[in-house]
Amino acid sequence: MSNQINRRKFVAHTAATAAGVLIGNRLKGMSRSAEAATRPPDKYDIMKETMKYRKIDAHAHIYFTDDSPGTQLDFGERLGIEKQVISRYLSIFPGTPEQFRKYNDLTIKAIKKYPDHLLGGFVLNPEYRKESLEEIKRCMDAGMIGPGELYYQEKINNPLYFPIIEKLIDLKMIIFSHAECQLGVGGYRMKKYNGYKAPNTSIPEDFVDIAKRYPEGVFQYAHIGGGGDWEYECKLFRDHPNIYVDTSGSNNAENMIDFAVGHLGEDRLFFASDNCYYQSVGKILASNLTEVQKRKVFFENYNNLLRKGGRNVD
Amino acid sequence: MWIDINAYTGHWPFMQLKYNTCEALLNRMNTYGVDISVISNLNGIFYKNTQSANLELYNEIRSNRRFGDRFIPFAVINPIYAGWQKDMEECKNKLGMKGIRLYPKYHDYDITDPALVELAKRARDMDMVMAFNFRMVDSRQRSWMDIDYVVGTPKKEWTLKNIFPIMKAVPDAKYMILNVANGLDLNKEDNASFKKMNVLMDTSGRTLTDLGSLLRSYGTDKFAFGTHSPILDYLTGQLRIAALRENEAGEAVKSLLRSGNARKMLKL
Repeated sequence: MSNQINRRKFVAHTAATAAGVLIGNRLKGMSRSAEAATRPPDKYDIMKETMKYRKIDAHAHIYFTDDSPGTQLDFGERLGIEKQVISRYLSIFPGTPEQFRKYNDLTIKAIKKYPDHLLGGFVLNPEYRKESLEEIKRCMDAGMIGPGELYYQEKINNPLYFPIIEKLIDLKMIIFSHAECQLGVGGYRMKKYNGYKAPNTSIPEDFVDIAKRYPEGVFQYAHIGGGGDWEYECKLFRDHPNIYVDTSGSNNAENMIDFAVGHLGEDRLFFASDNCYYQSVGKILASNLTEVQKRKVFFENYNNLLRKGGRNVD
Repeated sequence: MWIDINAYTGHWPFMQLKYNTCEALLNRMNTYGVDISVISNLNGIFYKNTQSANLELYNEIRSNRRFGDRFIPFAVINPIYAGWQKDMEECKNKLGMKGIRLYPKYHDYDITDPALVELAKRARDMDMVMAFNFRMVDSRQRSWMDIDYVVGTPKKEWTLKNIFPIMKAVPDAKYMILNVANGLDLNKEDNASFKKMNVLMDTSGRTLTDLGSLLRSYGTDKFAFGTHSPILDYLTGQLRIAALRENEAGEAVKSLLRSGNARKMLKL
């Protein structure tokens, strides 16, 4: 009996120490001990995990380049992203009606060509109230689901936005805007630091202001992984249940997703990439969320809000 | 087999980190199939006397025999601080450290500082790998007490151009370039030199959006799996490799990326 146990231990430990064998010279002063050998790591199939979840990317972009939207669609196929909500953010100033119509035309063309994979978001400039309201109707008629990432032209809580936001609420659309949060941006130690940002950049406090003014509105705060201070953002939004955050951005800080769910709850996060596809999937897979919670973040939370306007994808 | 060439234990003074002990990291490795991790002690970035951090790491690894099988420690050395030569010798010969991580921005010296050049030559002669990184954290979320190399400002985060001068000065040493978060552009001559060097870039950084193309541009021997854990999430660096298609990287190349290139540089 004891021989059998010893043999089992021997076999287990022989197999277990492949890594230990590789680290041949080991740390000085340490000797090898079969009893103390570590077990080998579990098998983990990251592609299987990646493909297991249905996904809606709530924040992606297309561009006026030959490879777009082909590049975006390729990432979607590679990582099992069923739908991407695309827009061409209005990175041009001043953002005249002619300019935002041109940007939206690009999106309309893409969603008509790839209706199974792309959902469209429109852009506008509230400084042109009449034209912006007309553009909402034109883009809705073309099949878009709501605003894309609204940009630097005006802060989201500027009164110029009020009629736009009221229209979007009537249409049961998700109100989605770019925002930033770092030293020298907005009210975040602006007096001591220069963040070198456009003066009308929306900041978390602007979102809280507009969300309180329109408690019936559903607001999507862009990219908590966009490089800004995600702890600050999540703490500020905690008590404002109509502010949702998308998880996109190039920063895939460890613990970002767990922290966000801890502060906002599992229903207020949308999976999104902002075209940073690997980080955006990786940070959610690496979180401590349960499978049910991951399903919510990857797909259901956003889809459930689309359903309120009859725009759900399932 | 997966070998992570870019992981840490220790603390970041401006944000609480999870999984930042050998025990927690080993659990992470076991959950996600990682066999070996190259680690340094983050505290060494902030201690003036970095050797205290190296000894902390050594003692932590010694505290449990399981750690010795799974971790390869790298020292943190500041070549403008007194006694670094002795520290380096001790790390190599007494503490069994196979490489050195260097932080010119945090330790406040130039990339062409003669002391760094001297260190690089010693590292080459002692067969120790030297690791530099583009950044430790995303500068847009930095604390007001952190260094002020910031994206979108006149004082930018580093790119490969900022690191290359030391590689050019000591081209026959072994280098790791970690957390490739910004540009890889070099002039034509330097780029040609870079490609001939013994260098590995890890897969944790955001610039590696199209790893398939980078493998074609730089060669399949220039990249290796890395996480930048516990600062970045544990899986993105792995996903970049696993998601490569057959026409971008066959099984043999993926094996090099997972562990083969690291094994070769570290002589495992």
